[in-house]
Amino acid sequence: MSASSSQPIVHIRNFRMNFDGTAVIRDLSFDIERGETFGFLGSNGCGKTTTLRALLGIYLPTSGTLHINGRPFRPEDGGRLGYLPEERGLYKKEPVIDVMTYFGRLKGLSKQAAAAWSLQYLKRVALQDKAHLRVDKLSGGEQQKVQLGVTIMNAPELLILDEPTKGFDPVNRRLLMDIIEEQKQAGATVLMVTHQMEEVERLCDRVLLLKDGVAEAYGTVPEVQEQYGGTTARLKYSGEIPGSASYRVLLRERNYAELAIADGADEAVILRDLVNAGVMVRSFVTGRPSLDEIFVRVYGEQSGDADTAEGHGGHASASAGRSGGDPHGAA
Amino acid sequence: MARHNLGTVVSFEVRRTLTRKWFWLTTLIVPIAFGVVIAMAISANETTASQAEAQKNALFTFVYTDDSGYVDPAVVAAFGGAEAADAAQAIADVQSGRIDAYFAYPADPVNQPTQVYGVDEGVFENGKYSAVARQILVVSAQQAAGDATLAALLQGSAPMISTAYKDGRVSGGVNEVIAPMIFLVIFYVVIILLGNQMSTSLLEEKENRVTEMILTTLDPTTLVIGKVVSLFIAGITQIVVFAIPVVAGYLFFRDALQIPSIDLSGLVLAPEPMIVGALLLTGGFMLFTTTLVAISAVMPTVRDAGQIVAPLMILIFVPFYIVSMVVSDPHAAVVQIFTYFPYSAPVTAMMRNAFGSLSPAEAIVVIVELFALGTLMLRLAVRLYRYGSIEYSRKVSLKAALARRDTAGVAGGNGSGGPGGAGGPGGSGGTEPGTGGGRGARGAGAR
Repeated sequence: MSASSSQPIVHIRNFRMNFDGTAVIRDLSFDIERGETFGFLGSNGCGKTTTLRALLGIYLPTSGTLHINGRPFRPEDGGRLGYLPEERGLYKKEPVIDVMTYFGRLKGLSKQAAAAWSLQYLKRVALQDKAHLRVDKLSGGEQQKVQLGVTIMNAPELLILDEPTKGFDPVNRRLLMDIIEEQKQAGATVLMVTHQMEEVERLCDRVLLLKDGVAEAYGTVPEVQEQYGGTTARLKYSGEIPGSASYRVLLRERNYAELAIADGADEAVILRDLVNAGVMVRSFVTGRPSLDEIFVRVYGEQSGDADTAEGHGGHASASAGRSGGDPHGAA
Repeated sequence: MARHNLGTVVSFEVRRTLTRKWFWLTTLIVPIAFGVVIAMAISANETTASQAEAQKNALFTFVYTDDSGYVDPAVVAAFGGAEAADAAQAIADVQSGRIDAYFAYPADPVNQPTQVYGVDEGVFENGKYSAVARQILVVSAQQAAGDATLAALLQGSAPMISTAYKDGRVSGGVNEVIAPMIFLVIFYVVIILLGNQMSTSLLEEKENRVTEMILTTLDPTTLVIGKVVSLFIAGITQIVVFAIPVVAGYLFFRDALQIPSIDLSGLVLAPEPMIVGALLLTGGFMLFTTTLVAISAVMPTVRDAGQIVAPLMILIFVPFYIVSMVVSDPHAAVVQIFTYFPYSAPVTAMMRNAFGSLSPAEAIVVIVELFALGTLMLRLAVRLYRYGSIEYSRKVSLKAALARRDTAGVAGGNGSGGPGGAGGPGGSGGTEPGTGGGRGARGAGAR
């Protein structure tokens, strides 16, 4: 992968993907700058993996521009790419060291360099004694560690992680986060698809929320929070929260609720009305919505039946992009 | 043109194939079985030889009657026998065990059977009575002829050398058949032994979910070619291993195995049939392996692929049902059909090439056909592979795969904004793995 610091490392313009005549991605545009960590978010089946596959040349886009380092991706450029796909695995009947060395060689390392790097990595993750065991003799967690090693071989310039923590145990999840942090420190750009919003808030510089094939929101985490608004009141209480035009109940649990406060509504008046309605309020705190809340707000109505929709033309009707953001703008 | 990472793929695939236990287990079964056969044959030969020697030297009492007049009493005497006065008494003596055997030579021993009576000494031992009775007749006849050459001729011992001419030159006969026939043997060994392995190898990435990662470092065509080349190398290795005991048996155990001495200098290596044989082998291998790749590309598992691979394997045996016709009447309609039907053509044409009944024009047509179809099948296989390699859990829809267009503009750069593929297979809307959604892989001309 050639590097040019002046241009974004990932450049997608007017990307469109049709399946069976149905547009599943429509005029998607965004850039990823060098060195940033980018969260590519969306509910199941909204087109995230399709976008990544089209970016990596595995799928043929219907139209649009998908560039890495200023040109369409080719396998010859894969030496400095670290890709952890959602559907992932290893050659199960081969020794661990052979599999890692093979991938290292495919990424352009010499046999000796690939083997040396692999042994060093295996030592780091406490698998040095299992280097010569077959992959299928390792536990699931150990295989995940090997998978991570294969992904970050040869100091990737761009890491593309599709639901990286999916199926990972807590230990490996922590390892993954450490590795992402290290790669960021080393200057790598990270493109991450995930449903773990706390990870996004912790790691990502910017995010894009994809919904029904179009960008629902795009920007830094604070920008997206601002875009969605407004203010959320979190309260601990006893009693029954009445309906009101001043707020909308986002979450209602036993003795805890989150309210989206309507534009122009006064927080103090809402608190007073709740008390007057007989609600025993023990705590009332306001703030910006978390990404988790935003995700629920954006995808809440469709995530429940996402799996059903995916198999039955769930993308046939895509809603227009949200006006508040700048989904098609540059970074 | 060098393919990116092809050498890496070939070395990885060859090394891991040749270091697998099952590969050597299946490979060594043949030479081990051959060794066992050699040992049994040597043992059996020694037993037979000692039994023959024992029978030859075995003395038993016998009498005979001769209605033909051909039996020489001196010869009988040399064998330790005597003439019987009465046939019925002789039989009674054998029944009672007073003598061991009685031979009743008829008036016309050529057209009438000689009756041999003997005391039972077991199925194998009883053979000595007939052997001695026959030998008495043969030696008596030789004595009557009075000439060793005449006696040999009477036994049919007259060597012949025939010379046939083909296109004005001396034909090599059987010696001309052997060398081109080796290509057929190689074809069978490679396809039969490696057919299933080919499917397994090609489905491995899909079953292990490795495809998506590996396709970011190499082109699918490179992966397919790398696997085909490495399996061919593995097949040649197996053939060499198989050949070792055969050669060793010929060189060191030829007498024990009663292998006829082959005058290798007599083998005819005519250029034309050898070149045609090599091209038929290469074209046939190409067609069959690329077909196996295509099958593997659309099937989600080895088990599913096996249901289609098995009938394909049977196709290469079908020409043997008409082998006599291939030899005796190569212009028969059924032979012609088998010669040109793609999946029976390699075997039929290689047989006809070895027997010298494949004309140059026919050879050219079949070779062109095999290479053309092999190339087309390779393109189809790669297309299906790149299309189906990330269809992890279901069959790829051929209709959908073939309906897609190759788009050079997208191949060269998806920044062209040119139209991409149309429909994806099967599903109707999903876009994530396993969701039933259609998807389009990059076109065959992508690289």
